[in-house]
Amino acid sequence: MGELLQNIVKKSPWIYRINAGSCNGCDVEMATTALIPRYDVERLGCRYCGSPKHADIVLISGPVTAVVKDKVLRVYDEIPNPKVVVAVGICPISGGVFRESYSIANQLDAYIPVDVNVPGCPPRPQAIIDGIAMAIEIWRKKF
Amino acid sequence: MNVAEFFVNVFIFPGGLFAIMLGLLLTGLDRKIYARLQRRVGPPIYQPWLDVVKLSQKETIIPKTANYTAFRLAPLLGFAGMLAAIAIIPVTGIYSGLYQSGDLLVVLYLLSAPALALAMGAAASGSPYSSIGLSREISIMLAYEIPMLIVFLTVGMRVGMEIGGTAIFSLSSIVNFQLSQGSLLLDLPMLPAFLAFLICIPGILGVVPFDIPEAETEITEGPLLEYSGSGLAMFKLTGGLKMLVLSALTVALFFPMGLGSFWLVNLLWFIFKCVVIMFFTTTLIRAMQARMRIEQAYKFYLLFPTALALISLVLTAISFRI
Repeated sequence: MGELLQNIVKKSPWIYRINAGSCNGCDVEMATTALIPRYDVERLGCRYCGSPKHADIVLISGPVTAVVKDKVLRVYDEIPNPKVVVAVGICPISGGVFRESYSIANQLDAYIPVDVNVPGCPPRPQAIIDGIAMAIEIWRKKF
Repeated sequence: MNVAEFFVNVFIFPGGLFAIMLGLLLTGLDRKIYARLQRRVGPPIYQPWLDVVKLSQKETIIPKTANYTAFRLAPLLGFAGMLAAIAIIPVTGIYSGLYQSGDLLVVLYLLSAPALALAMGAAASGSPYSSIGLSREISIMLAYEIPMLIVFLTVGMRVGMEIGGTAIFSLSSIVNFQLSQGSLLLDLPMLPAFLAFLICIPGILGVVPFDIPEAETEITEGPLLEYSGSGLAMFKLTGGLKMLVLSALTVALFFPMGLGSFWLVNLLWFIFKCVVIMFFTTTLIRAMQARMRIEQAYKFYLLFPTALALISLVLTAISFRI
């Protein structure tokens, strides 16, 4: 039963985006992966959802700025378990070009357990889809 | 009618299990065809089943500000209303409906159950986005109920005048009348009413030009915002059932013709008609149109479908007066 459930579940991951102070470059790439027909992620069963309460896989972009840190943590807490975090772009990993800026809190790893890192500035759509596919594998094992 | 037959009708064959399966199939087909219209591969047709199973396994979060009882009860209420509605609607050659008189009015009331359930859940969840969704849901409901009521009245009058001299609101009488006299769709004065009913369908379903209450890009899914896990799964099931109820109702009111007397052929023919109605009223419009604003949708419903339905009503009344 567990195996069957995992196989069903892995075909229906819903995606939610959090912008943690990103320059919008990665967000545009994320929108591209879902919105244009060429990289259609709906074929994997994915769906962008508007509410964090519907989400399974969270894509977080941007260096975690001091102002937005608490809001990111709060939205993260509102996502029902089991959930998986994908850090998109170089910023949540190390701060990227904003590293050691006075307005950056810390890298994302210091606050939230990150499951998959997709480096790049911005990463290619194929890399983001690959990251989502890896996240789905991690996520299904949590059921 | 005995008790066992009643339970089978409500929980297994036309209602219950069968209706849920068919409703989810319609939803899946809708998503697949929509993706193909945009030249995407799209999700598999069985995607809605996977979504419902997954949602039922997720954690259910209830907000601190929510009213627990109303919040948990709302999804069940809409779901129960739709299950009752599908058990009432007759399907030619397979099923003759639960009641024999006045059931069209019962369907009219039951059709407002999902919208009211959504409004109740939104009010109970205590989120500001949900309350915006709630006010929009109620406004659009007020707008589409008027043309829908006039369409029902027109059909009831057309059939009733021919049979007994007064309007008849019995779905089985309406279906039997059409089986003997030819479907109402081919009757010229009824054509505007048919169009008006088709225009009402996307509003009731809340799909793209009229998905203003749930607009996910501006008010993040509105009434559904706070729902997670099994409650959300229930709303998804209700959405599929709603699509099925509306298609079945259109078939029963305007072209209930069967194909021969073998039940399987009739069933497949019925499913085919449902899919065709769904394609023209939901998928095609969803792929072509952008979202309206609430006051545009309100004006639209009070203008075009109402005018079409009134034309039909007046033409029908005149044809019986002379």
